[in-house]
Amino acid sequence: MMKYSFLFALSMLMLFGCQNNTQHSNEEGDTTTDEQVVNVYTHRHYDVDQQLFAQFEEETGIKVNVTNANADELIQRMKAEGEESPADVLITVDAGRLAGAKNDGLLQSVESEVLESTIPAKLIDVDKQWFGLTKRARVIVYSKDRVQPEQLSSYAALADEEWNKKVLIRSSNNIYNQSLMASIIANLGEETARAWAAGVVENMARNPKGNDRDQVKAVAAGEGDLAVVNTYYIGRMLNSEDPEELKAGEQVSIFFPDQEGNGTHINISGAGVAKHAPNKENAVRFIEFLASKEAQQVFAQANYEYPVHPEVAPAELLQSWGEFKEDDLPLSTLGENNKLANLIFDAAGWE
Amino acid sequence: MTQIARRKYYRKLRRDFDQWSWVTLLVTLFVGVPLLFIFFKLFGGAGESWGHMVKYLLPKYLTNTLLLSLICMVLTITMGVSAAWLSTRYHFPLRKSLEWLNILPLALPSYITAYAYAGIFDYGGSLQLLLQGLSLSIPKIDIMNVNGLAFVLSVSLYPYVYVACRAFFLYQSQNLIETAQVLGDSRAQRFFRLILPMARPAIVGGFILVLMEVLNDFGAAKYYGVNTFTTGIFKAWYGYREPETAVYLAALLLVIIFALILLEQWQRKRKRYHFAGKSQKKLARLEVPRGRSWGYTLIVAIPAILGFLIPVAQLIYWAVLSFHNTQWADLFTAIFQSVAIGAIAAAACVFFAILLLFTSQWNALSGVRTVSRFGALGYAIPGAVIAVGVYMPSLVVDKWIIGVVKDLFSVKIGLLLTGTATALVYAYVVRFLAVAFNPLAAGQQKMSASLSEASYLLGWGRLRTFWKLEFPLLRSAILSAFILVFIDVMKELPLTLILKPNHIQTLAVEAYQYASDERIIEAAWPALVLVLSGTIPVIFLNRLVRNE
Repeated sequence: MMKYSFLFALSMLMLFGCQNNTQHSNEEGDTTTDEQVVNVYTHRHYDVDQQLFAQFEEETGIKVNVTNANADELIQRMKAEGEESPADVLITVDAGRLAGAKNDGLLQSVESEVLESTIPAKLIDVDKQWFGLTKRARVIVYSKDRVQPEQLSSYAALADEEWNKKVLIRSSNNIYNQSLMASIIANLGEETARAWAAGVVENMARNPKGNDRDQVKAVAAGEGDLAVVNTYYIGRMLNSEDPEELKAGEQVSIFFPDQEGNGTHINISGAGVAKHAPNKENAVRFIEFLASKEAQQVFAQANYEYPVHPEVAPAELLQSWGEFKEDDLPLSTLGENNKLANLIFDAAGWE
Repeated sequence: MTQIARRKYYRKLRRDFDQWSWVTLLVTLFVGVPLLFIFFKLFGGAGESWGHMVKYLLPKYLTNTLLLSLICMVLTITMGVSAAWLSTRYHFPLRKSLEWLNILPLALPSYITAYAYAGIFDYGGSLQLLLQGLSLSIPKIDIMNVNGLAFVLSVSLYPYVYVACRAFFLYQSQNLIETAQVLGDSRAQRFFRLILPMARPAIVGGFILVLMEVLNDFGAAKYYGVNTFTTGIFKAWYGYREPETAVYLAALLLVIIFALILLEQWQRKRKRYHFAGKSQKKLARLEVPRGRSWGYTLIVAIPAILGFLIPVAQLIYWAVLSFHNTQWADLFTAIFQSVAIGAIAAAACVFFAILLLFTSQWNALSGVRTVSRFGALGYAIPGAVIAVGVYMPSLVVDKWIIGVVKDLFSVKIGLLLTGTATALVYAYVVRFLAVAFNPLAAGQQKMSASLSEASYLLGWGRLRTFWKLEFPLLRSAILSAFILVFIDVMKELPLTLILKPNHIQTLAVEAYQYASDERIIEAAWPALVLVLSGTIPVIFLNRLVRNE
C-alpha cells in the first residue's frame, strides 16, 4: 500500500510539477532556441488586453504568456516564487498595489527613454520601477434631481454637516478608497485625514457595502445624494447590458472635486518589470508597446479609462464630461501611505 | 503492579505495531501537517498588526460570526426539521418532487446564492421590477448585511439538517410513535415532547455541518460586506501582508470551533440515546385532511423555492442578458479544468480515505486507531485556514528542494509544490477527506465482518481480500464518496483562491472574479454551469441512495 501511495504521489508530482517546469525550461531555453517570450502576470482581464497582446506578438514575434489572477494573489505568488519566479511583467490596477509590489522587492528599475518621454512623470514611480498605462479619476457623482453642482467643492467637504446621512461610499477594504485616503494624508496631513474619516463615517447614508456601481444605484434610488466612485464605472453603467443599471447611470452626474485645490484624485493601472525577470529586454519592449500611441488608442476606446499618452484623446463619453485638473501628487506616495490609510480607516470605524 | 502493566503494555505495543500501524500514522500525519504547522507557527509570534486587529476589528469579527451562527441555527433547523418531518410523515401533493428538490440547494455554492439575492433585492432588481409590474410598491429591503447574509446562508445550507433528520424520521421514529400512541399522547405532544428531543443527535449532526460551512464562507460575506473571521484572515494575509497575523486569526477560529463541538458533546453526554436496534420499519405516512394538504405542500416547498428555484431563476435571467457578451472559450477552458481537478481531487480523497479506513482497522492497536480519527478533522477547518497551513510548509519544502538540487547538480529548478496543482489537490485532500471517509465507513459497516474473516481463514491476505472482496462490495459507497467530494471541490472557493496555480481557472474562481470586478451579470454563466455540475450528481446520488 505504501508503494502505491508513493507511486501516486510521484505521479502527481510529475503530472503537475511538470507544467511549471516546462514553463521554466522554456524561458531558460530562450538563449539557445530562438523562441522569444514574455511572461505577464496581470490583474486586468479585459478582452481588449488580449487583443493588444496578440498585436504585440504579431509585431515583434515575442510570445506573450499571460497569467491572470487577482493582484494581491499575484503579488503573494511572486513573493513566494522569489528568484525562481517566471514573471517578467506585473500589470495591476492602482498605484497602491504597484507600490506594495515594489516595497516587497518584486520589481526592478527600468531605464527607458520611450516610457519617460510619453508617460507624465507623476504617473511613474520615483525609482522607475513601475509605469502608469491608463488613468482613472475617483470622482463624486450626485443625484441630478436633488443636488446642484454648485453645492459641491472638495473631498474634504464630504465630511461637512450639510451632507449628513447623504454620502454613499464603499468599504475601506477597497484599494481605491485606501489610495484616496493615502492622497488625503499626503495633501492635508494625518490629523486632518483622521478627522475627515470620522466626519465621512458620520455622514454615511448607510454602512459601507457593495461595490462602486452599488453606490451609484443607491443614489439613483434616493438612499443618499452623493457617491464616491471611479469614472470608468459610470462609463460601464451607461453601456450596461442591464437596462436598470443604465437607468441608474443616467440619473447621476459627475463632479470633479478639488478643482480649486489640489485637483481630483487620479489613479492608474500600470506595469512594472519583475525583479527576477528572465526576459528583461522583452519585458521593457512589452511595456513600451503598451505605452505606444497605437496601444493607447485601443485602451482609450475600450474600458472608459483615460489614456496616459498625451497625444491620445480619451473616448467621446469621457470627453463629454469635460477636462479637469488632476492632483499632481506623485503616485508613489499612495503606496507609502497605504498602511497608515488602513489604520486610520479601522480607527474611524469605517467598515 | 503498575510497572508490570506498563511492561505488558510496551510488549503489546512492540508486538502489535505492524506495517498497518505505520501506514495509518503516516496518512494521518500527511493530512495533519497543515494543522501542526499552524500550531507551531503560533510560537513565532503574531505580525505587527495583530494588536491593531484585536483592538478595532476582532470584536466585530466575533459578534458577526456569532450572530451569523445563531440566526443560521434557528433558520436551518426550523426549515430542515419541518420539511423533513412533514415529508416523511404525511402524504400531500408534489411530495415526491419536493423530497429531492429540498436537497438541491446543496448544488448551489452559497456565494452564488448570495450574488443572486443581491441582484434580486437590488435597486432596479428583479423584485422591484416585479412589483412595478404589479404596480405595487414596498420600501426597499436591504439584504446586504449580517441578517441578509444569515438568511442567504440558511436557505442554501438547511438541506444538511433536512437530510440528517429525514433519515432519522424515516427509520427510527416508528417505534417511538407507536409507544407514545399506546401511552395516549396527542399528536403535537408526541412531536414536541418525544420525536424532536430524540432527533437531537441528527439535528445537531446536520447543524454542525451547516456551522462549518458558515464559518468557512468567504465569497458571500465578502460580497455583502460583512466582516467575519474568514474575511479577516484574507485581510490579514493580503491587506496587511502578514501571514503570521492570519495564522493567529486562524488559530483563534479553530479554538472556537473545537470549543463548540466539545460543548455539544459534554452537554449531550448526560443524556443517552438508545434505539431499539436498527429498526428497518419505515415510518408509515398519514393522510392529510383535504383542505390542509396544499398548506403542507407550501411549507415543504418554501425552503426549496428560496434556496434553489429563486436564485436559479435570477441566474438564468442574467445569463440571458449576458449571452452575447460571454467569453465562451474561457468558459469551456474553465469547465474542463474544474472537472479535471475535481475528479483528480475526488479520486485522491477516496484513495486516502480507503487507505486510512482499512489500515486503521487492520492494525491491532486501538491507540493508533484513535489517532487516525484526527485525519478526518479537515472538514471542520475553514478552507482559508487550510490554505494558510498548506501554503507555508510547501514553500519551505520547495526552498529546501531547490537548494539541494542546486548544490548537488548546480541546476536551477522551479517551485515543485507551491502554486502548483499538487499543492491544491493536497489541500483538497486535507479538507475533504472526511467527506469521502463517512460514506465509505458506513458502507464498510454494512458489510458483514464474517465475510472478510472467512477470506482470511481461507488463506487470502489483507490486500488480496480487499481487492477481490471488499473493494467490489464497496463500489457504490466509493461512487457516493467520489461524487460528494467532487461536488464539494467544484464549489470550493477560499482555499482555491489562495492555492490555485495561475494557469488553471476554475468555474468557482471565474464566477467570483466577475462578481468582485462588478460584472455580476457575466458571472451568471460560470455560476449556472457550476449549479448544473452540482445538480446532476445530486440527483444521481439520490437515486443511488433510494435504490439501496
